[in-house]
Amino acid sequence: MHPILTNPRYLLMYLAAWVPLGLMVGSMLSLSAHLPWRETTWITAPLIVLLAFLCLAPLYMCRALPVGGTSVPKLIINHLLAALAILAIVQPFLFLDLKTGSEVFHDFDRRSLPGMPLLTTSTLLLYLLAVGGHYAGLAAESTRRAQVLARDAELRALKAQVNPHFLFNSLNSISALTSIDASRARDMCVKLSEFLRLSLRLGERGSIPFNEEMEVARTYLSVEQVRFGRRLRVLEEIAASCGTCDVPPLLIQPLVENAIKHGIANLVDGGEIAMTGTCDGRTLRFSIQNEFDPDAPVGKRSGIGLRNVRDRLTARFGAAAQLKVDIEENRYRVTISAPCEKGRVSA
Amino acid sequence: MSATMMRVVIVDDEELARHVIREHLGNEEDVEIAAECANGFEAVRLANELKPDLMFLDVQMPKLDGFEVLELIEPEIAVIFVTAFDQYAMRAFDAAAVDYLLKPFSAERFRSALERARQRLATKQPAPSASELKALARTPDQAAERVVVKDGARVHIIPVGKLDYVEAQDDYIELHSGQKSWLKQQSLASLEAVLDPNRFVRVHRSYLINIERVTKIEPYTKDTKLAILTDGAQIPMSRAGYARLKELMRIE
Repeated sequence: MHPILTNPRYLLMYLAAWVPLGLMVGSMLSLSAHLPWRETTWITAPLIVLLAFLCLAPLYMCRALPVGGTSVPKLIINHLLAALAILAIVQPFLFLDLKTGSEVFHDFDRRSLPGMPLLTTSTLLLYLLAVGGHYAGLAAESTRRAQVLARDAELRALKAQVNPHFLFNSLNSISALTSIDASRARDMCVKLSEFLRLSLRLGERGSIPFNEEMEVARTYLSVEQVRFGRRLRVLEEIAASCGTCDVPPLLIQPLVENAIKHGIANLVDGGEIAMTGTCDGRTLRFSIQNEFDPDAPVGKRSGIGLRNVRDRLTARFGAAAQLKVDIEENRYRVTISAPCEKGRVSA
Repeated sequence: MSATMMRVVIVDDEELARHVIREHLGNEEDVEIAAECANGFEAVRLANELKPDLMFLDVQMPKLDGFEVLELIEPEIAVIFVTAFDQYAMRAFDAAAVDYLLKPFSAERFRSALERARQRLATKQPAPSASELKALARTPDQAAERVVVKDGARVHIIPVGKLDYVEAQDDYIELHSGQKSWLKQQSLASLEAVLDPNRFVRVHRSYLINIERVTKIEPYTKDTKLAILTDGAQIPMSRAGYARLKELMRIE
C-alpha cells in the first residue's frame, strides 16, 4: 500500500496540497470558459478528488523504473503511456459530469465545451508532476535508508571493537601478573587502557590517517602479545608512504583480531601474523595473513568482523575499494585495496 | 601423599591463566597438581593416563574445546569449567547447573568452586552429561561440524560430511565413515540433536544416516524398505523413518 494511504497524517497533508491545485485549475477554467463559480466547482471538484487518488499510482511504476537504471526513451514512453491511461480514465468521467451538469444548470453544455482541452492538459501536467514527486520521494527514502545502514554498520563496528572475550582475558592476564611481576601487570594495564582510549575516540571520527589505524592495531597486538606470549609472532612491512592515506577507522584492527581469534588462538604452537602495506600515491594496498588450523570448525573461522570491514570500506569508497579473501591450505589472507585520498581527515 | 589428596589437572592454552589457578591451588593443603596442559588433545590424554580427580577446563582451546574434552573423559572426573566470556557456553552451564569460573575470578569464588567439586567427589555425584551440555551450548541455527571420538589413547575428529551412518548399540553408538568405524559412549538421540537435521535423518530406532550417501532404496519386508548407501551398507528403515527420508529427499 502507498505510504500516504497508510498514515492518516500524511493523507491529510496530501489532500490539503490538492486544494490550491484545485483552485488553480478551477479559476483557469472559469476564466477561459467564462463559467460562474457554481458550475466551475461542479466540474472541477470531482475531477480533482479523482486525480488526487490516481496520482498515487505512479509509485509502483517509479519503483520499477528507477531514474538511474532505466534508459531515457523507456522512461518517457512508459510514463507517457501511463499518463494517457489516466486520461482515458478521466475523460468519460468528465463527459458524465458535463452531461449531468447540463441537466442541472441552464445552458451548461454549450459554454463548458471550450474547457475540455484545458482540463485534459491540466490532468496530464498534474499526473507528470506526481511522477516527479514520487521520484523525489523515492530518492529521499533511499538516502535515508543509506544513512541508517551506515549508522548500523558504525554501531556494529563499535560493538565488535571491544570484544568482551578480549577484555576479560586481558584482565585475567593482569590478574595473573600482579603476583608474578607487578611492573608487567602495570604495563599491561597501560597498554589495555591505551587501546580502549584510542578505539573509543575513533568511533566519533569519519576518517583517520592509515598510520593512526595501524597504531590502534599495534596497541591491540601488544596487549594480545602478553596473553599469547611466544605463540603470537608478528611480522610487519608497512611502507612509510601509506601513512598519510585516509581510511575509515577500525579497518585494520578487526582484521588483526580475526587473525588471532580464528587463527593463532586455535594453534597449539601459535603462528605468525604478517602484515604488508604499500602505496603508489593513488592506491593503498594492505594485506594481512595468518596461519590457521584447517581442522578447526569452520564456524570458528568466519566472523562478523570481516563483514564490518567490508561494509565500512564500501560505505566510504564504493566500488573503488576491494576486499579479497584467499585461503590456501593453512593460510588465510585478507587483501584490501582502496584509493589513497588525503586531507579528508576529520578531527 | 595421603589417600585423601585431590589430584588436579589444569587445562588452559594461556600460561598466565594456568598460573592463576596454580597459585590459588597452592593455598589448598589437600590438592596435588598432577599435570598442566595447553590443548584439548593433551587434556584427553592426561585424563586417561593420570586419572585425576578434578580438571580445570578452559572452554576455548586449540584442537578440542572444553565440551569436546568433557565428552571424551571418564565421567568420574569432576570438572570446573573456566571461561572469559562465551555467551553460549555460559547459557549452557546455567541451564545444566554446572559450576564454572569467569575470568578473572576472586579467591573466594575459586574456593567455593573447589569446595563444590570436593563435595561432588565425596558424594560421587555423576558428572554433567557432556552431550546435553554440548546441545545446550550450540549456537542457534548452527549444527555440529564434527564429531570427536576416542580411538584407544588417541582422539579422532570426524567432520560430519565424512560421516556415512551411525548405528546404536546398547549404551554406545557406532560411527561409520568410509571403511572405518568407531565406538563412542553416547546415545543416538543426543548425537541426532546436534547434527544438521536436513542432512542426517533417523530412519530407524537404531540408525541415523547421512542422506547424501543414499544411492538406492529397495523393498525389505512387506512394510519396510532398505536404504543402500554408497559404501554398500544396507540400512533397514522403519515406516516412519522412510517417511522422514522421503520428505527430506523430496521423493514421491
